[in-house]
Amino acid sequence: MRQIALYGKGGIGKSTTSANLSAAFSEKNLSVMQIGCDPKHDSTRMLMHGRWIPTVLEQMYEKKDIKEEDIIFEGFGGVRCVEAGGPEPGIGCAGRGIIATFQLLEKMQALFGDVVVYDVLGDVVCGGFALPMRDGYAEEVYLVTSGELMSLYAANNISKAVARLGGRSTAKCKLGGVICNAKNMDNEYELVKEFAERIGSKLICYIPRSKSVQAAEVNRMTVLEHDPASEQADVYRSCADAILANDDFRIPTPLSLEELEDLARKYL
Amino acid sequence: MQENISEKRLGGCALGGTLAVTAFIRDGITVIHAPQGCAHQMFSGFHAMMADAGLSRIPKVIVSNIQNREAIFGGEEALAEALDRAEEDSPALISVVTSCVPETIGDDTEGVCAAHPASERIVYIPASGFLGGSSQAGENTALIRLAALAEPKEPIPRTAALIGEKNLESEVEENYAEVCRLLNRLGIKVILRFCRNIEAAEIVRLGEAAFFIIRDERVEEAGITIANRFGRPYVSAFPSGLSGSISFLQEAGKACGIPEEEIAEAVFAEEEYQREQLAPFAELAGTSVALGFEPFAGCHAVAREAMERIGISESADGMPVKLPFYLPVGAAGVLKMLYLWRREKRR
Repeated sequence: MRQIALYGKGGIGKSTTSANLSAAFSEKNLSVMQIGCDPKHDSTRMLMHGRWIPTVLEQMYEKKDIKEEDIIFEGFGGVRCVEAGGPEPGIGCAGRGIIATFQLLEKMQALFGDVVVYDVLGDVVCGGFALPMRDGYAEEVYLVTSGELMSLYAANNISKAVARLGGRSTAKCKLGGVICNAKNMDNEYELVKEFAERIGSKLICYIPRSKSVQAAEVNRMTVLEHDPASEQADVYRSCADAILANDDFRIPTPLSLEELEDLARKYL
Repeated sequence: MQENISEKRLGGCALGGTLAVTAFIRDGITVIHAPQGCAHQMFSGFHAMMADAGLSRIPKVIVSNIQNREAIFGGEEALAEALDRAEEDSPALISVVTSCVPETIGDDTEGVCAAHPASERIVYIPASGFLGGSSQAGENTALIRLAALAEPKEPIPRTAALIGEKNLESEVEENYAEVCRLLNRLGIKVILRFCRNIEAAEIVRLGEAAFFIIRDERVEEAGITIANRFGRPYVSAFPSGLSGSISFLQEAGKACGIPEEEIAEAVFAEEEYQREQLAPFAELAGTSVALGFEPFAGCHAVAREAMERIGISESADGMPVKLPFYLPVGAAGVLKMLYLWRREKRR
C-alpha cells in the first residue's frame, strides 16, 4: 500500500490536485482512499460530485456507534472518500480532531487499499496536523506549491516538519518531491524546480494553470471525469505515474528565510 | 543536605490550591471546567486532606466533564450545562475553576460565565491546571479573583481581615485563636477570614477592614494585591514563635494606627504572659535535645528561641524531638511543641 500525503499553503490547490490524482490512480484499477484532513472538509467534494459528505468528527459528535458506511463514501472511480472535519472556526482543537479521526479509522481497520491519499491542512500548525506523517501513516510527503514566495515559504516550513519527524529512528515518512501547481508566473517552473533541489528533493511534476480545472469544478467533478481527453487530465495522469514510479524519498534540508528570498529574487 | 520543604515545591497543578479556597465558601459551589479524571484525582486528594484536618463537610463541586468531543469541538457548551446544574442548587456564589484542557484548546470560559443568566453570582478563576503553575499559584489566583467581589468602603477602626489561612492544616482553628488572642490585646477584631468557612456575602467585608493580615509568604502575592487594591496596610505573616508574637503585636498595632503607648502595654502584657506560660516547662531546663530535620524554614529558629528561654541545650546526640510541620504560630504553637517534648522526656 502506498500512503501519500499532500501538504502545502492554504488555497494552493491541494484538494484539486489530490482529487485528480486519486481519480488518475483509480483509472489504473488501483483501490484508492482519499482522506481530507482539514476542518474545511472539501477535499473529496469533486470526487463526490459536489456532495459534502458527513465528516468523521460530525459523526463522532453525534453518534456513539459509528460504522464504516457513516464515514466512508464511494466517489468517482470507486475512490473511498473520508473527511475528517473539525470544529467550527475559533473553537476547540482541530489538531486533536485529526488524531481522533485516525484513531477511529485505525480501530475500524478502514485504512486499506493500493493507495491512500492524505490531503492535509495548509500548514503543520500543531502536532495533530503532523499526525499523517507519523505513526506509520503517510510514508511519502509531497509539497504542493506555486512559484509565489508565500507558497514556497509554506512549503519550506512544512519541509521542516518532515525533516524533524522523518529524522527520528521510528520514522517512516520522507519527502517524495515537490508538485508545482502553477500560477503561470514567469520562470515558475525553473524557480520551483530549483527550490525542490535546494531542499534536497526534486520536482515531481509541473501542473500548468488551466481553465479545464475551473470548468470541472463548476460542474462538481474532477478534470479526469469532466474532460478525460483534455491535456490537463493527461498532466494529472503523468503526475500520478511519476508518484507511483517514485522510489527516491529523502529527508529534506529546509532553506533559511534569507536563502528562500534570494531564490525568489533570482527568478523575478 | 536535605532542603526545607518549600511550598513552591508542592506544586504541579493549580487546581488543588484553588479548591482549597473556593471550597471554604460555605454557600458556594465550585464548578471545575475539566475532564472528570482531573477533578476526581484532585478532589480525592483534597477530601482526604480535609478529613485529615478533621473536616467532615463535603464541599459542593461540579465538573463540566470535558471529553474527547469537547477537546475537539470546544468545551463551552459543557461548561454552560455545568453552570445550569450548579444553578439548580441556588448557590450564593459559583466559582468556575479551569484545568489545563480548556485553557489549552482556547475555551472562552470567561465569556461563557458572563453570558450565563447567573453571571452576577459567577466568579471565573483561571487556575489553568498545570499551565497555572503550582497549588500556591492557584490559591493566590482564587483569592485575587474572589476579592474582586468586594469594593473599598470606609474602614472600620481596629478591624482586620485575614487572608489565605491554610484551610487544610490541622491547627488552623488553634492558629486563628492565637491570632485573635494577640489582636485582642490591642482591641482589634477580625471581621473576615478570607476564605475560611465564610458565606459569599461576607466577602464584601474585605473593603471594611482597617488592615489585612496575610497568613504567610505562600499567599503574599494575593495579600499584597488585595491590600494595594483597597489601599490598606498589611501584616505579612501570622506570628511565629515567642518574639514573633511581640513583633506581630507591634506591626498590627502600627498598621491599625494604634497609639504607641497602647502597643507598648500590649507588648508588656504579652511578655508577662509568655513568662507565665513557659514556667510549667522548667523541668526541661538542662535537657539536651536533637532538633533534626527542619520541615519549614524558620522552625529551628523558633525552637531555639524557646530553648534558650527555658535553658534547653542542643546536641546531635541529645533527646530527639519533633518539630511542628509548619512554623508554630504565636506562643500557643511553641507551647504545644514544648508539651510534646516534655511528654517525650517523661516517658
